[in-house]
Amino acid sequence: MTKILETRKLTKVFPGVKAVDELDFDLEPGEIHAIVGENGAGKSTLIKMLAGVYRPTSGTIIVQGEERTFHNPREAMEYIGVVYQENELIPYFSGYENLFLGIEETASGLLKNETMRERAYALAEEFNFELDLDSEVRELGAGQQTLIAILKVLYERLPILIFDEPTAALSYKESETLFELLRDLRSKGFAIIYISHHLTEVLDLADRVTVLRDGKKVVTVQNEGLTERQLIQYMIARDIDVQYPKLEANIGETVLQVRDFSDKRYGFEDINFHIRSGEIVGFAGLTGSGRTELAKSIYRQFRKRPGNIQLTTHAADRKRRMVLIPENRREEGVILDLSVRENLILASLDQLSHLGYLIERGIVKYIGSIIEQLAIKVTSPAQSVRTLSGGNQQKVSIGKWMGESCDVWIFDEPTQGIDVDTKTEIYTIMSQLAQQGSAIWFISSDLRELTSICDRIYVMYDFAIAAEFTAPYEREDILTKMMGGD
Amino acid sequence: MKERAMNSRFQQLLTKYGTILALVIVTLMFSLFVPGFVNSRNLLNILRQVALLAVIAEGFTMCLIVDELDLSFANVASLASVIAGALILGGMHPFLAIVIVLAVGAGIGLLNGLLVTKVGIPSLITTLAMGIISVGFIYMFTDGLSLYGAMPAGFLFLGRGSIAGIPFLVIIMFAVVLLAHVLVNKFKVGKYMQATGANVRAARLAGINTDFYKILGLVLSSAGAALTGILLTSRLGTANPEGATGFMMDSFASALMGMTVLSIGRAKPLGTLVGVLMIGVISNGMTLAGAPYYMQDITKGVIILLSVTITSLQSKRQADA
Repeated sequence: MTKILETRKLTKVFPGVKAVDELDFDLEPGEIHAIVGENGAGKSTLIKMLAGVYRPTSGTIIVQGEERTFHNPREAMEYIGVVYQENELIPYFSGYENLFLGIEETASGLLKNETMRERAYALAEEFNFELDLDSEVRELGAGQQTLIAILKVLYERLPILIFDEPTAALSYKESETLFELLRDLRSKGFAIIYISHHLTEVLDLADRVTVLRDGKKVVTVQNEGLTERQLIQYMIARDIDVQYPKLEANIGETVLQVRDFSDKRYGFEDINFHIRSGEIVGFAGLTGSGRTELAKSIYRQFRKRPGNIQLTTHAADRKRRMVLIPENRREEGVILDLSVRENLILASLDQLSHLGYLIERGIVKYIGSIIEQLAIKVTSPAQSVRTLSGGNQQKVSIGKWMGESCDVWIFDEPTQGIDVDTKTEIYTIMSQLAQQGSAIWFISSDLRELTSICDRIYVMYDFAIAAEFTAPYEREDILTKMMGGD
Repeated sequence: MKERAMNSRFQQLLTKYGTILALVIVTLMFSLFVPGFVNSRNLLNILRQVALLAVIAEGFTMCLIVDELDLSFANVASLASVIAGALILGGMHPFLAIVIVLAVGAGIGLLNGLLVTKVGIPSLITTLAMGIISVGFIYMFTDGLSLYGAMPAGFLFLGRGSIAGIPFLVIIMFAVVLLAHVLVNKFKVGKYMQATGANVRAARLAGINTDFYKILGLVLSSAGAALTGILLTSRLGTANPEGATGFMMDSFASALMGMTVLSIGRAKPLGTLVGVLMIGVISNGMTLAGAPYYMQDITKGVIILLSVTITSLQSKRQADA
């Protein structure tokens, strides 16, 4: 069969990371081609290149036999329709206005609202969507919003359709409607790329499956007799390059004990877990499983001293009890335009000042010791943090808490987007902190690092703790739990 | 449970129509307690007093719709007033003079827009600088003095004439409001401006040239200001270097109040009209009631804070939900 879409050696390089690496991919009319891979495997980047949002660094995109360069989304939209993971709607516009955004019907300049509204409803009916297209979309639930985004793509009847995690916000019934629709579209000859973390969905729907890992294609297989386990094995990388130093630490008494913790704001209910002194405890889970939210929620609630979060201090000199190294380090972890020095002293100004007056000599000494301890590469402490590499920014983000010994350190994706050598250094820092008796709470999407340096791992799924593992680990089991399996 | 649902229904109605209700109540209060307030002559008078404010505030509303800010429009209006005066007193045909001044206004807006979108300077800073530059040009042209002289009757009709008893300014005001409303709500251009202002990423993904619409919002803001300047010169028969300065705060007050009308947090032409009328009614009513002028400023300031409070609380509640 002829290919409707092909990529040859498609590559996208972001500063420091090869997000997509020489990818060969193809799509035929009348097939559903699923793309799977862990977070950061390059799925979203690939989609954005096909959609004209990113320009490829190198390689070619071939549509209907002709090489194409998309300069912007508009050019790509002549062939390819995308339903994005975060549905991109205008909150104040009604469903039908969103549907026709960019392709409005007009008569001598005037918008034909009634015509558009009728067509929108006719389209919804044709595809069996029960939708309210008159209310402003911000008043609708997430499921309805997703369906509107899908309808928007269907309207133009483009030959190639891409669905990026479309079921994330859908109810069971809505998902079923969508699956029927996808099969129907396939039988009508549309070519569909389907991205999902739910492997059961993928096995149920897809004709072929392509597995990505670290921006590279692992394999493209026909979905015949394929099992979830096989897919998971393709998705898990072999250990290469990165080293995982793990220092021996004495595991002591429980430092953080969380009992029946609930937070309505995020939908946490009766969460139970504990972390002991000297222990590194991993939190595994997919994006959207609630790992970051749980950390932030507990970090926030802890200050109100509720009974169900207990923190036991063992050393006498502990002043700071819980610190969080946020995932989003450029926005939450450091202040980019301040210097390394200013960032590092920010959390310890009390001990570095006298009656509010900063004591210069103390600061110089303090900064010097942290820069040395964490091996932060700077030309001078006055260098602005913006000019540092990602790894060194992360060290500054950690370093600002180093002045006081803390009971609980929460690391949220501390190694994301960081070069291999610095990763190793960060594992070492975490191990050292554990050695000093702190409890380490380690959130990560990288199963390799979790299974290498954690003493225990909790798996989160759908804002609950789904399982607990202790070393030695079977990565397949953990991944199965992450996907919501048994 | 049912009571709560009713309660929130009532709350919804109140947030939707609260500002209009407030306008009605304020008008009623003045009608009851201030003699000479409610008669057709005074009500028409109020409309004439706010006509220029409406024109300039509708322009400002256009840049708010694309989610940019314009701090230069009042000074641009003064500059336009001065240039119009100078050209007409210099003997140029009024029609040609008006076209030139509107072009200058649109040009300033274009420059604002290019600096914001292509260079990437925040609109707050760009337009602040442009406003200062405009003041500089005003003094270059006038040496700080008002321009007097005999202007052609045809030109003066714009600001002073009336048709069938209705001041021509009021007719212009309604034409501008209607034009703005229709442009924003009935034309593709307006929808794209709204989409750009509400979610720039989504708009871009829908293939909309968001830079163009940001620029357009700033151009319309400056063009509205230029039109206001022309009308001001015509109304006064002179051109004053600081003639339009006072429109700055009143336009902000009107547009911010307008953002609380019907759907909270969105700038919209009809909302701005409600805000403008509120300003007009308060100024006129308080003057008639003999309140000292500074009370008007205090009242307007409180109104801005109140309307922004409503907007902020509402968006906070949405974020929490």
